[in-house]
Amino acid sequence: MQRYAVNVLFCAAAVALVGLAQAGMLDKYVLTIITFMGINCIFAVSLNLVNGYMGEFSCGHGGFMCVGAYTGSLLSVAFFTNSKLFGPALFPPELAPFLFPLVLIGAGSVAALFGLIVALPSFHTRDDYLAIITIAANYIIISVVENIDAIGGPRGFSGMRRVVGAMSDVADVPWMLIWTIVGLFVCVMTIYRLMTSTYGKGISAVCQNEVAAEIMGVDTNRVKIMAFMVSSGLAGLSGALYAHVYGYVNAQAFNILKSTEGLVIVYLGGMGSISGVLLAAIAFTLLVEALRFVMPWLNDILHAANLLPAGYELSQVWKWVIIPLILILLMQFRPEGFLGNRELTQVFPRLKRWITLK
Amino acid sequence: MPLLEITGLTKRFGGLQALSNFSFSMGERELVGLIGPNGAGKTTVFNIVSGFYRPTEGSIVFRRQLLNGLKPHRVTSMGMARTFQNIRLWNDLTVLDNIRLARYARLDYGFWDAVLRTGRYRRAEKAVETKAREVLELMELAEYAGEFPKNLPYGLQRRVELARALAGNPRLLLLDEPAAGLGSVDVEGLIRHIRWIYDEFKISIWMIEHQMKVVMSLCQRLSVMDFGCAIAEGTPEEIRRNPEVVRAYLGDGAL
Amino acid sequence: MEIFLQQCVNALQWGSFYALIALGYTLVYGVLRLINFAHGDIFMVGAYLAFYISTAFLAPEGLFGFSRGLTLALTIPLTMIFTSLVGVTLERIAYRPLMRKGAHRLYVVITALMCGLVLENGNLALLGASRKTLPALLDKSVYDVGGIAVTNLKLWVIFAAVLVFFALHFVVTKTRMGMAMRAVSWNKFALPLMGIPLDSVIVFTFVLGSGIAGLGGMLFAMSYPVLEPYMGAMTGWKAFIAAVVGGIGDIRGAFVGGFLLAFVEVMVAAFLPSTFRDLFAFSILLLILWQRPTGIFGRPLISKI
Repeated sequence: MQRYAVNVLFCAAAVALVGLAQAGMLDKYVLTIITFMGINCIFAVSLNLVNGYMGEFSCGHGGFMCVGAYTGSLLSVAFFTNSKLFGPALFPPELAPFLFPLVLIGAGSVAALFGLIVALPSFHTRDDYLAIITIAANYIIISVVENIDAIGGPRGFSGMRRVVGAMSDVADVPWMLIWTIVGLFVCVMTIYRLMTSTYGKGISAVCQNEVAAEIMGVDTNRVKIMAFMVSSGLAGLSGALYAHVYGYVNAQAFNILKSTEGLVIVYLGGMGSISGVLLAAIAFTLLVEALRFVMPWLNDILHAANLLPAGYELSQVWKWVIIPLILILLMQFRPEGFLGNRELTQVFPRLKRWITLK
Repeated sequence: MPLLEITGLTKRFGGLQALSNFSFSMGERELVGLIGPNGAGKTTVFNIVSGFYRPTEGSIVFRRQLLNGLKPHRVTSMGMARTFQNIRLWNDLTVLDNIRLARYARLDYGFWDAVLRTGRYRRAEKAVETKAREVLELMELAEYAGEFPKNLPYGLQRRVELARALAGNPRLLLLDEPAAGLGSVDVEGLIRHIRWIYDEFKISIWMIEHQMKVVMSLCQRLSVMDFGCAIAEGTPEEIRRNPEVVRAYLGDGAL
Repeated sequence: MEIFLQQCVNALQWGSFYALIALGYTLVYGVLRLINFAHGDIFMVGAYLAFYISTAFLAPEGLFGFSRGLTLALTIPLTMIFTSLVGVTLERIAYRPLMRKGAHRLYVVITALMCGLVLENGNLALLGASRKTLPALLDKSVYDVGGIAVTNLKLWVIFAAVLVFFALHFVVTKTRMGMAMRAVSWNKFALPLMGIPLDSVIVFTFVLGSGIAGLGGMLFAMSYPVLEPYMGAMTGWKAFIAAVVGGIGDIRGAFVGGFLLAFVEVMVAAFLPSTFRDLFAFSILLLILWQRPTGIFGRPLISKI
């Protein structure tokens, strides 16, 4: 039973979190941050499949999140609400909590299909050239979305709040937190189980020596398609969650900066380490939020110490100077990320006794 | 019916003629060597046979099937395996995983089985594991199962590569300079291993090798290449006396 | 037809900007195999430096009260020098220590990305959101060539890009340092054998690349005299893509890629709704890379088996 300790802990934490939120003990702000933390985790862990395990440098992951966000939003608006775009709801809103997984699955599947934009060129292209293709794919996706006026074009798309509202009408629980926890669980399990199977280790084989992989019978093209599709599909899942938590999507929210955020988390956590990337995603989200409060405080201190000219106020913009600086420093001190390519259980072997993901 | 039949194989890279009209045939249970000076085109032959290059002209028939234009992994799943001149192991996977991956082409489960851990997945993985351990045991590598290949000495890496090639149950094994970079003690061990593999697994072996000691003591038959052409074929003893071969290796002045 | 030719002139001008930035990407990549993602922001720094230097010199408000001609003559070299200092500083404090530690290549790339963010946001935080306007340093004159209006500034921009191309070509093929750069791109370990320290070559590369980007930034600021901190980000990404389409690591590639991208963009914007610009430009680039995976001038990837 001991090996299930961490799993039980995870479930207990999830239940406790939902319970706290339910009891109203969590501030709405805190609740949102925790949810976003989970979404960032899904986003980064899925990117890690391509950038960490397969060793490609995909810098357009935000594009797939965008596809998922829009698909998820469109589906749920069409399913559960009366809208100008789709007319009356396809299903009664009371079904929203039960059919919401369909929305998530739909978003993931469509995003996975879009992963083919990158997967197909990857047969012949590698490294930096593939990186360009991913960047181009990101731009193309955003540009396409912005050019479709029916879904709002550059103005964005909304209406998901009503769906979340419909879910709350059925049962008043923090639905989006629950779905995010479920999504994160599905994402981590999928990638962990894939990468511990011989089938999934084909991805590592392609990463480490593609020629050897091909000659030992690994269908490298199929492996690449699989990796890119799983990765972008899970990114799509995170996008759909994001859209519903936020209640509004805009293509520019998923531009190259979003992709960069994912890259930073993956390389900070360590390429090819699920636990490292999870840690990094949590740390990154916390850092961004913490600095929001630190900035005014820092401003006061610096003024008190007369280090700042009287007319100058330290604005929140400085946050985005400090964060990259911190990351640059972290990279200098740990040039292989938090955990390198190892998992927590490999860094602390004793943990193994407490954990099983089989 | 020969196991492998190559007819009129020609390969041009741009203007460079790497292979011209190379023909070769070998039967079941043969151990044949391919020798020749550097740049003669030996590895090119292997690369075409194993599917990395498309031949410009000619045909390759393996177990009655035409190999031309098949991708390497398809060729492998038809029962051919090979090793490389410079070792190509997956350095960040354990030795055991390296061997397990050799069974990749025979996995009968897919993505969803792996994620949902179905019964089919469990059975297949168990079979792969058993087979891999068995091969490691046979190749005297069991104690290194958990090591990473990059941490092993060179001779052991060669052996792991050999084990990996064998784990796919090939009918024909192509060895590209298996003795390259080995010390004399290791070479002795390698000769022993190859002979043992040949007897134990009942397979055919075709090897490129520079070290005469290896070729002469192992091969029943040798073919010699120079400038992309086959120039001689025969038993090691005949080859040793063939003036064409001596000229190819030592130049015209030698005679 | 006239519209087309007019747009061609515009494309040549934009292509010059892209080419000047793409050169920096290509030079650094050729030597270090590093995508210097901060390079677009170096371009932005160049534009801002040009602004400060020229306002410091120029007659009515400037400290020195120089004439416009003299200011221009001084601003060009000073901008290039100071911008290259910024580039070299980044290499010195951020990239070099990381590479010394043998970090994975991509960690250096991420660091470069972060450096770019620091430059952008640092600028925004220090100087505020108010946009700067570069004073006019050149008397504007418009020539009419067969119905096409060409300003002298456009001609200068194109001329500068062509000049840089030939100068760079000379440096790379004829000077000792340039040949060392090419040697590094082939084999990093052979270089010390030639008696040139690798670090000097790297610094030289950054000086060249950043200096050219500085020149590009200045010319850009003269053509579109409204400066804002994020101007380098988008232009930089695009120039990088241009460099890769041309074949990264190749000087000709940076030029051809830059002009190609500008041509596609300008033509799409001229004849189709301008919101399609990115869509078409990037789709075409994607197709080119699909067909020629290493770019137009790139050497094909050959892995020896």
